[in-house]
Amino acid sequence: MKPDPTRFLEVAAGHLMARAAPLLPAYEQSSASVIGLLLTAVAEEFGRAAARRMDENRALRALFAEAAAAVEDAALAARLREAAEGGDPDLRVEALEATNADLRALLIELHAHVEGLASEAARRIEEAIWSELVRSTERRRLTLQIF
Amino acid sequence: MAAPVPDASHAELASRLESYLRPRFADADELAVEQLERIFGGASRETYRFVVRTRSGGGEERRHLILRRDPDGSLIETERAVEFAAYRAFHGTAVPVPEALFLEEDPEPLGHPFFIMEELRGFESSPQAITQPPYAAHAARLARRKWTILGEIARADPKALGLAERMEPVAPEQCHERELAYWEARIDRDEMCPQPVIRAAIRWLRRHPPPPAQKISVVHGDFRTGNFLYDAEGEIHGILDWEMAHLGDPLEDLAWSLNPVWRWARDERAGGLAPREEAIRIWEEASGLRADPEALRWWELFSSVKGQAIWISGAREFSTGRNQDPILALSSWLMGNSQDRAALLTLGRLP
Repeated sequence: MKPDPTRFLEVAAGHLMARAAPLLPAYEQSSASVIGLLLTAVAEEFGRAAARRMDENRALRALFAEAAAAVEDAALAARLREAAEGGDPDLRVEALEATNADLRALLIELHAHVEGLASEAARRIEEAIWSELVRSTERRRLTLQIF
Repeated sequence: MAAPVPDASHAELASRLESYLRPRFADADELAVEQLERIFGGASRETYRFVVRTRSGGGEERRHLILRRDPDGSLIETERAVEFAAYRAFHGTAVPVPEALFLEEDPEPLGHPFFIMEELRGFESSPQAITQPPYAAHAARLARRKWTILGEIARADPKALGLAERMEPVAPEQCHERELAYWEARIDRDEMCPQPVIRAAIRWLRRHPPPPAQKISVVHGDFRTGNFLYDAEGEIHGILDWEMAHLGDPLEDLAWSLNPVWRWARDERAGGLAPREEAIRIWEEASGLRADPEALRWWELFSSVKGQAIWISGAREFSTGRNQDPILALSSWLMGNSQDRAALLTLGRLP
């Protein structure tokens, strides 16, 4: 697909902010500039959207496979095993996002569960969860962010 | 600067404003609303500036005013009467605020409830501009003024200000739980995707409750760079956006002001102005209170929960079409992720 959609979005954002926005009244000028920034963010997300969701889903399944042996709740362990065996047959971003939401909801349950356990295995899983939470936050980071 | 464009909705709003103001300027023989212009930002209320021109006897007077009108949907659901009362209470004190003039809770005059206050003119409020010339050279003075004023808010007696009766009371040992329960409920209601970082933060906050508040203060609720008017000499002329004001632990405001998501200079300075320890020192000196490190840490992590709740609510407003101001989408994307990073930093998890 040429021109590349990312490039198009960057050009559109620049055009909107540098050429169109200054011609507008103050409020509309600010709105147009914000839309330009949004297009810049979309351009950054466009290229990585499927990859970062697939990476994260894979990482969460690996974490669940490891955690299933450590949890003390049989029903939760079964759900972790089931989730760990899943996959991403549909590579559309919307489908990957829906699966990601399911996996992250299960991650919250797992995290709360292992926080209440005293075992060494639970501490290892908890540390693995924190590491994944840091990585997942960094995956979503956009260049425009001030922090 | 481009002149305000008089579109049909503005013309109608100006006309309705004239009808509302006429009986309130009873001495005027003539009254006209001019130069009505919407101001960008203020995601919780629509904000307009306008001039009211009155003629009485032989003289003409022009007053520059601000209209804050409730929108259909917003980032923050707030009680406008409390915001109005806060402006009134602090006007003329060590905490600079514009004079609040009229509060109207009946939606009939302008379609939604609103209030009107004076416009403080000729000052800057942009959080980006404060890190650039000519303002950046005065960062140290701006920081001193910013956290001194916040200390003055913390020091003030809510009862003496007349705000104790206008704001929901809270006991010193209940401040933290009330605020956490409120913002957690907002996340429960509005989240559109799971929030594992903020859920972990909420559980941590519940396991590590802070000590009771040293005193019950007025909490501004959104005291940060971007919500005050400043000049090129490093003076602050007005504290704005009191829509989340309430009674509570004064550390809540200090923690919010220190949150990393407000690091506009893209370095470690709080609010883009001063090192964190310097900001705390100024606040302690002005307030006469102590910022206990462990208690402050609790409130700093809480501030990320509250911040995330606000970005989540904005995302829902935008997604459902209730309010499609693009700033809601942008803040949800950028600030939402920054807020998770801030929570991880406070928890000692960010490398």
